[in-house]
Amino acid sequence: MLFASCAPETCARRTCPPRPRPAGHPGSDMTAHSFALPVIIFTTFWGLIGIAGPWFVPKGPNRGVIITMLVATAVCCYLFWLIAILAQLNPLFGPQLKNETIWYVRFLWE
Amino acid sequence: MGSMFRGEEVALVQLFLPTAAAYTCVSQLGELGLVEFRDLNASVSAFQRRFVVDVRRCEELEKTFTFLQEEVRRAGLALPLPVGRLPAPPPRDLLRIQEETDRLAQELRDVRGNQQELRAQLHQLQLHEAVLGQSHGPPLAAAHTDGPSSERSPLLLPPGGPHQDLKVNFVAGAVEPHKAAALERLLWRACRGFLIASFQEMEQQLEDPVTGEPTRWMTFLISYWGEQIGQKIRKITACFHCHIFPFLEPEEARRGALQQLQQQSQELQEVLGETERFLSQVLGRVQQLLPAGQMQIRKMKAVYLALNQCSVSSTHKCLIAEAWCAVLDLPTLQQVLQDSSSEAGVSAVAHRIPCQDMPPTLIRTNRFTASFQGIVDAYGVGRYQEVNPAPYTIITFPFLFAVMFGDVGHGLLMFLFALAMVLAENRPAVKAAQNEIWQTFFGGRYLLLLMGLFSVYTGFIYNECFSRATTIFPSGWSVAAMANQSGWSDAYLARHSLLTLDPNISGVFLGPYPFGIDPVWSLATNHLSFLNSFKMKMSVILGVIHMAFGVILGVFNHVHFGQGHKLLLETLPELIFLLGLFGYLVFLVLYKWLCVKAADSASAPSILIHFINMFLFSSSPTNRPLYHAQEVVQYVLVVLALASVPVLLLGTPLYLLRRQRHLQRRPAGGQDEDKAKLMDSDACESGWGPDEKAGCSGDEKEAELIASEVFMHQAIHTIEFCLGCISNTASYLRLWALSLAHAQLSEVLWAMVMRVALSANLRVGVQAVVLVPVFAAFAVLTVAILLVMEGLSAFLHALRLHWVEFQNKFYSGTGYKLSPFTFAAEDE
Repeated sequence: MLFASCAPETCARRTCPPRPRPAGHPGSDMTAHSFALPVIIFTTFWGLIGIAGPWFVPKGPNRGVIITMLVATAVCCYLFWLIAILAQLNPLFGPQLKNETIWYVRFLWE
Repeated sequence: MGSMFRGEEVALVQLFLPTAAAYTCVSQLGELGLVEFRDLNASVSAFQRRFVVDVRRCEELEKTFTFLQEEVRRAGLALPLPVGRLPAPPPRDLLRIQEETDRLAQELRDVRGNQQELRAQLHQLQLHEAVLGQSHGPPLAAAHTDGPSSERSPLLLPPGGPHQDLKVNFVAGAVEPHKAAALERLLWRACRGFLIASFQEMEQQLEDPVTGEPTRWMTFLISYWGEQIGQKIRKITACFHCHIFPFLEPEEARRGALQQLQQQSQELQEVLGETERFLSQVLGRVQQLLPAGQMQIRKMKAVYLALNQCSVSSTHKCLIAEAWCAVLDLPTLQQVLQDSSSEAGVSAVAHRIPCQDMPPTLIRTNRFTASFQGIVDAYGVGRYQEVNPAPYTIITFPFLFAVMFGDVGHGLLMFLFALAMVLAENRPAVKAAQNEIWQTFFGGRYLLLLMGLFSVYTGFIYNECFSRATTIFPSGWSVAAMANQSGWSDAYLARHSLLTLDPNISGVFLGPYPFGIDPVWSLATNHLSFLNSFKMKMSVILGVIHMAFGVILGVFNHVHFGQGHKLLLETLPELIFLLGLFGYLVFLVLYKWLCVKAADSASAPSILIHFINMFLFSSSPTNRPLYHAQEVVQYVLVVLALASVPVLLLGTPLYLLRRQRHLQRRPAGGQDEDKAKLMDSDACESGWGPDEKAGCSGDEKEAELIASEVFMHQAIHTIEFCLGCISNTASYLRLWALSLAHAQLSEVLWAMVMRVALSANLRVGVQAVVLVPVFAAFAVLTVAILLVMEGLSAFLHALRLHWVEFQNKFYSGTGYKLSPFTFAAEDE
């Protein structure tokens, strides 16, 4: 069940062949996730739906209900996403992985 | 369709219907379904009302219709549905319809009677034929010998003598199969030794003329000797209701009789055929007449029942009716009345009258909003012009359901199922389905559609698709960085089966996952530690916001009913209490998320301990404060919250009592003025506000406030609110509990069913074949357990959260619906 391309014997060396790494991230070449960018994107997105959307609802008997639905959807979905991202902003502990998982994820997710 | 924000304005109208045109007017009103009649003759019994004779005639006609319907159904024909909308017929047509129906019913009865008789006769003939036709060996054989053989002769009688010239007689007949054994036994016991009986089943089945069931009769032939035996046998067979036929000894005579019988039965069958043809003709006429007639008479009866609720004016020239009508429909009402009474000289009029009773609630919905209004109304129909929770429920109910159900795969299945129902909703086959469970699902198709859609969204946030996580974005945790910096060689890994990533090491945690929960957590063994903390805090945040929204909706009620004092004396203390305590808890959660970093994780403060200490006014030395001056802030908030309780408890009652005392102390002239002013503002709008009870009688004095009642009511409200705050906030934790249960069930199903099949080390071809039944099992269990059972469970809990935790902040639900007088419900 070990990942076929990375048998333990070939990786007995402590270090893998050096690869160019972005500065500040020793040991991996994964780029950091920014926090500001998703916040801006999603705030804009749900803001458009919840604040700008109501202006474009055509006049008719159902206008009030549709506006209520748009605003409620925007508030609920934005809030839910925001809670999810804030909860992971400053983790106090990390995931505990099985050694099998570590063996393959360490090379798979790079 | 008006706005759903609050119910429409409904007015009490008084209708003056001229006697000649009253029937037409009411019939037209029934077609349109505009008004709800109030019963003005409530004290009069049903038998003493004005139109009781007409109602009775309609009921008799309905009885005849039921008889005709039963006959049609018995013949196996179906009644076609009535075509088009037929109005209630004018009273003079009633006689005509009655005559026609009675005539048809009589014809039908006659023909049926004839048919029964003919069938019975045919049955007899057929039995007779069978009896004669079948050969019964032993009795006939016995007839050919002279007298009984010696072994059969009774021992006690002297031999010889009277035996030798005994003649053998026969009794032949037919008996029902289940009685045959009993008959045989009884014959043997009673007449043993003096008869020979033979029972045989008929070859063909005959239809019983009464019940129509095919049965096989048993024919029997008894040969006996002795007069007394013969009498005994006849009595016994008569007891068993057997049919006895004459049996002629000579063979040729029997044959001749048989031929005659066959001829008779043939003729009879021809006559029967004619009768049945005529019967089907009559039934055809019934089929044509019945549907329209039934609908018309139903409408007529409804109109007379409505007319019975009207009172007669003193001049006996017109009927007076009182009805509830939506204010927006008043012009239509006037128009309809004028049109209907144009033939009569005087036209019917309607005008609005003031009312003291609480009017019914009318909220117009379309097929989309109807299901959401339905689940709000299932708890209780709102009071007149109370704020309606339904427009918000359209989104918050599917959202809270989705929080408990979040899974992309399951949500997608639910969405597609609902989409199929919505797209097929206009097909007649779908509408005509009778299955109740299908009707329930079909009625809630828009609800299911939204629930599925939101579940897909929350599934993406929870990062679960049939319990599997997806890496749409790269994960924010770098295992390689951890491994390289902690020296996790392969030997080290082989020794340690579980290792934890440490966010304090640089490069391990690269930032929060941009959309949802990081996929690394689905690989982690301690994923529940993280998810539980996340989901519990999420539940509390959503709960406090939902409840605060409910309290704010109450503001609209207070403003609309002119109870401005409640804004200051109720809403403000409620908000202070709720937000000061539980809003502060939300603040603590957010603060900790934003400001306590991984570097401080060893000494991270516990929100729970802080919250408990806040109420106990103490502190734990090992729990460091989250921010500077936290103790002071908490102290202030608790004091404010405690201070708001007596305001909530005593504010409104004291204010109301003081106002009443003010009025009573004023001089008489000013008193009427004040009373009039108060009447205007209070009576018609706030007379049925939650606190004051304006009676339907007595408009001379304002509602008498009984001090003890007002205080009691407010005390109950205060206790309910304050204790409710705590318990309701905790109640929102079911969002966490159910989403955990769903995730775990989903995970177990995957691990125990699909993964076993996918990781079985079989040859490729064999594994593919094995996967098919395993996938079938997975699919069936997914639908049955995760979609149906968990879906119903999450539906129920989301409903409870709305009905109790959200609605008890502002909604009383003690009104009644406007149920207009309409024929539409009866047409279905």
